[in-house]
Amino acid sequence: MSEQDKTVQEKLSELSELVAWFQSAAFKLEDALETFKKAEKLAEEIEKDLTKLKNDIKVVKKRFDGEAE
Amino acid sequence: MENVPLSVSDFVALTNQTLEYAYPVVAVVGEVTEFKVSQGKWVSFKLKDAGAVINCFMAVYQLRIAIEDGMKVLVTAAPRLNVRGYFNLNVRAIKPVGEGSIKKGFELLKAKLEAEGLFSPERKRALPRVPAYVGVVTSTESAAYADFCKIINERWGGLAVEVAHTQVQGEPAADQMIRAIRYFNNLETLPEVLIIIRGGGSAEDLQSFNDELLAREIAGSRIPTLVGVGHEIDHTLADMVADKRAATPTNAAEILVPDKREVIRHARQQATSLGYQLTQAIDQFSARTKEQLEAAFRRIQERLDDTFDRLGTLRVAIAQVNPDNVLRRGYALLRGSQEVGKNLEIETYDKTITAEVKNVRAR
Repeated sequence: MSEQDKTVQEKLSELSELVAWFQSAAFKLEDALETFKKAEKLAEEIEKDLTKLKNDIKVVKKRFDGEAE
Repeated sequence: MENVPLSVSDFVALTNQTLEYAYPVVAVVGEVTEFKVSQGKWVSFKLKDAGAVINCFMAVYQLRIAIEDGMKVLVTAAPRLNVRGYFNLNVRAIKPVGEGSIKKGFELLKAKLEAEGLFSPERKRALPRVPAYVGVVTSTESAAYADFCKIINERWGGLAVEVAHTQVQGEPAADQMIRAIRYFNNLETLPEVLIIIRGGGSAEDLQSFNDELLAREIAGSRIPTLVGVGHEIDHTLADMVADKRAATPTNAAEILVPDKREVIRHARQQATSLGYQLTQAIDQFSARTKEQLEAAFRRIQERLDDTFDRLGTLRVAIAQVNPDNVLRRGYALLRGSQEVGKNLEIETYDKTITAEVKNVRAR
């Protein structure tokens, strides 16, 4: 899945994972700068997505008249 | 008619036909007395006021609120003469009337549902933190719906919302909401949350949300439910059985989606905090490396000091065996053949003397 295809929720989860990695035993200084850049990019994308995205509100055409069975 | 003799059955049928034509449905208010349920299927009671009393009859499944003697109710019914000659109201719907009866009916049904465990916290499912697709049951003509849309649009983006328009007040409201809940629960792709909302109103306006069948439908929903009805102080059975109660429709929108401004701020904070952590990690790494280098230097210095100490000792030892030091103490070096008539070279600390050998004798 490319970065563009990911939902905001997926990006938020990914950002949380990156934050958790910094606190985990898997942390390596060699990879830290790369991970930090990734986190920064994700935060920017989340901001962009949330600012840009609109909700899609649709009213169901079906009518609900009549008694429930 | 008096010239046409009728059988008793025909008379009863004719009376019912006339009643059906003249009074297809009547609404009667009265006090319940002699309420009873037979064989778990049939409900019978009498409706009375100061001047009269009438028998009422209905099926258990039509009874959607809890009733007991003394409650003032409004029945919607068809008047009928039964084959045994009793005049009945065949009740289609019944609802409490007046604050006292509404409260009593509510408390009775609440106790019943509570005894079944429908309100227990263990039944409550958590709502997704950030849903992508939700269903809403409400009246799209209401101010509550407009407020709900306004708040979710302010707070979040990218949410797919499907709205089922139903009445949220009056007799058909509960059934319409039940149908809408079933509609969402039968979709191929289920919404992640089902929201049921209605704005404020009188206790009577909110009665539909105390309907037993509606409460059971909400409790049985496969989709986690979020119910926001009325104001903060209003409590209905619908919100008690829901997975999550919202105080108002606006509050439902706030519970449903996070505030994007908060989320953006938090995401920024997370990235910034990683920057600090990275700097800290680099500082720690540098400090550790510096410590290790200093330790290495200290060890080298110690080795050098040891070596210099040993060198000093050796120098002293070497100095002690230096011939110059011996000559300095008055001794002399003798070179040449020790034979009579030969020349010898005598080296003192500060002179070199040539001398002839005159005599040689053993000591």
